[in-house]
Amino acid sequence: MATSLHVLMALGGLTVGLLGFTGWMGDARALDVPWLVPLSGLSLRMDPLGGFFLLLVGATTVPSSIYAIGYARGARRGLGAYALFVLAMAVVPLAANVPTFLLAWELMALASYALVLTDDRDPAAVRAAWIYAVMTHAGFACLLSGMLLMTAWTGSLTFADWRAAATTLSEPARNLVFVLLALGFAGKAGVIPLHVWLPAAHPAAPSHVSALMSGVMIKLGVMGILRVGLEWLGVGPPWWGVVLMLAGTLSALGGVLYAAVEVDLKRLLAFSSIDNIGIILIAVGAGFVFHSTGLETLAIFALAAAFYHILNHAAFKALLFLGAGAVVHGAGTRDLEAMGGLIKRMPWTSAAFLVGALAIAALPPLNGFVSEWLTFQALLQNGRIPRPELNLVFMLALAGLALTGGLAVACFVRAFGIAFLALPRTEAAAGAQEAGPTMRAAMALLVVACATLALTPTLLLPPLGATAARLLGDAAPSSREDLLTIAVSGDFATLSMPVIAAALGLGLVLPFVLLRVGHAPSRIRYYETWNCGRLLQTSRMEYTATAFASPFRRVFDFLYRPERVVEIEAHGESRFFVRRMVYRNPTRSLVEDWLYAPLLGAVRAGTARVRAIQSGSANLYLIYVLAALLVLLVLA
Amino acid sequence: MFRQLALTLRVGIATEPPRSFPTLPALPLEDVGPRLSAQIQRIFGRSLHIRQVDAGSCNGCELEIGGLAGPHYDVERFGIRFVASPRHADCLLVTGPVTLNMAEALRRTWEATPDPKIVIAAGDCSRDGGIFQGSYAVLGGVAAVVPVDAVIPGCPPSPAALIAGLLDALGRRS
Repeated sequence: MATSLHVLMALGGLTVGLLGFTGWMGDARALDVPWLVPLSGLSLRMDPLGGFFLLLVGATTVPSSIYAIGYARGARRGLGAYALFVLAMAVVPLAANVPTFLLAWELMALASYALVLTDDRDPAAVRAAWIYAVMTHAGFACLLSGMLLMTAWTGSLTFADWRAAATTLSEPARNLVFVLLALGFAGKAGVIPLHVWLPAAHPAAPSHVSALMSGVMIKLGVMGILRVGLEWLGVGPPWWGVVLMLAGTLSALGGVLYAAVEVDLKRLLAFSSIDNIGIILIAVGAGFVFHSTGLETLAIFALAAAFYHILNHAAFKALLFLGAGAVVHGAGTRDLEAMGGLIKRMPWTSAAFLVGALAIAALPPLNGFVSEWLTFQALLQNGRIPRPELNLVFMLALAGLALTGGLAVACFVRAFGIAFLALPRTEAAAGAQEAGPTMRAAMALLVVACATLALTPTLLLPPLGATAARLLGDAAPSSREDLLTIAVSGDFATLSMPVIAAALGLGLVLPFVLLRVGHAPSRIRYYETWNCGRLLQTSRMEYTATAFASPFRRVFDFLYRPERVVEIEAHGESRFFVRRMVYRNPTRSLVEDWLYAPLLGAVRAGTARVRAIQSGSANLYLIYVLAALLVLLVLA
Repeated sequence: MFRQLALTLRVGIATEPPRSFPTLPALPLEDVGPRLSAQIQRIFGRSLHIRQVDAGSCNGCELEIGGLAGPHYDVERFGIRFVASPRHADCLLVTGPVTLNMAEALRRTWEATPDPKIVIAAGDCSRDGGIFQGSYAVLGGVAAVVPVDAVIPGCPPSPAALIAGLLDALGRRS
């Protein structure tokens, strides 16, 4: 039953993906069912942007569902929620009016809430689901108020009418709607400081669901921001883009910094998602700024870079989450400190995870490199904007992005090295089992996707540019150079992924060929790995995940504010005979301590005040009713 | 991080401007050096990388070996470098009488050094155990564990003796 549903979901995902592809390529479709949804009826419209995100939903559902066949092993729990989750995500990009959108959005949130709560006996999962519910509904409240305001001011529930009507709105009104809607969508996208639910919820959900949440769901938040700022409200002032770029820089840096010190593999990936959403938002923000300063070609370029990174991140983050799921399944732990040596027990998973790690660290010749390179190029074009204060923001984003790139490499060297290399640190890791055939097939599919996305930027950029152009309401620039090379604004910069891949591959193979051809003396002597001449080598001598991250903790101590906890239990007779020693080096979250803790404290204090009027006396409540009635009569 | 940055700003530039030095008189080393360089060129192509192994030495030899890399002798200009791993080394420079505890480590270090390699025993202890000869805790000489190409006598051998010994060891190598 569970298996057949997952097969069905994979086929459904394929269909949805193909449908999305046709829509992305410009095939407009519409579906209206007036009786289904209150107020205005169900209304779906396919446009290139919606098609693009539909393709993303479908294409990520296929490997996730194939993976779930082996991963869930016929468990029935969460099946309905999974199907509903995918369905809701497929409706969101197509929704053409407010009720349809909000309904699908809320269904998506509720279904994923149920999925986070799959293991409801785990207190951490219960807490994660609670945080997620609160955050997602705070976002929903922002969306609801923003959309209702917009409906009231434009007099229409249909998104298509908003663009024309938005030009008649006053500037403060548009700004208010933008801020409300952007806040709602940014919460879903996991932008810092609205990200607190993400590192809690992603590890709690099953891995194939984490792949979908991280690969697709948070991107729908980005889609919302794109729709608000470029489609529904027309051309906005430059500060919208500036805010997005600054928020993106903050998310990129904050996300990768927390990922670099995290010891829970799935939480690490969740923080890395925040980092990647930041990178996408930087490109989106650059597109906004270019658009509002009238540089349409550059706006299209920046948005195409953002779209490319959205595709890439879906591919490699889904791959990494599926790999992490295989590790959790095989070694029975999410804790990096309890792994090690998995490459020998799980060669397939290790190879897949390595590809994902290389891709997310933006190393050539994989796909992450292409989109980060494009983002850099888009940002470097800021000299065309004749406003120094905007150029400064671009410089800040460039510096942030560069630092993020370096830290991401360190973060994933650590994740892969500690988890998969060296000696196993626990019995469970030593006896880890390789993932089953369906799980391996799903990971292989995503590896192929990463490689394809890496090698075909020249094929992908024209349709991505066309999507961006449609979003901005322009005609697409139809410039396609040769199939091997991308050229940015003439001779500014060029990139040819096939050539890079060929050169790197050749560099790898050529030495062996030359040695063979040149009949080099092949006196090879094999001896054990150099271990400083030690007789005994145990896993306790290995670099731990915490130790590896220690330089980051020290350099960025103002952010982590690490605490050093040493508990020593000495022998009764003498304190020099230690019986047990515990060393911990936890970090604290700046956002939680300085933003959420005071906020929650204030809310609690406020509610305690308000509770004074709720005395429990029925007479008092009757007086309230009477007073309310009188006030209403006076007002009316 | 911010503490470091603040400190850097507060301290400013703390280095002194360079002074000019009188020309040094020619030392015997200046003759030996180029010959050593030529021998290294002949056998290893460009440079000689040395891994120093302390097989139970009293550290007297280490002090003299340390002097080689200092500004007075400065053997790096003749193509000699001390490296941190036998995997990078052409030559093992072993000191000490080889204690029982270091014997296996020394053997493993020798195994881990890629061929072709030279083993030089420096100091009297490394030749035959020196003053530790006959102790129950030492094997009495490097040759008891790994094949030795050359021995540099002295307790401890001076840096000049070490350089002469190196030259001798390289010269005997065809």
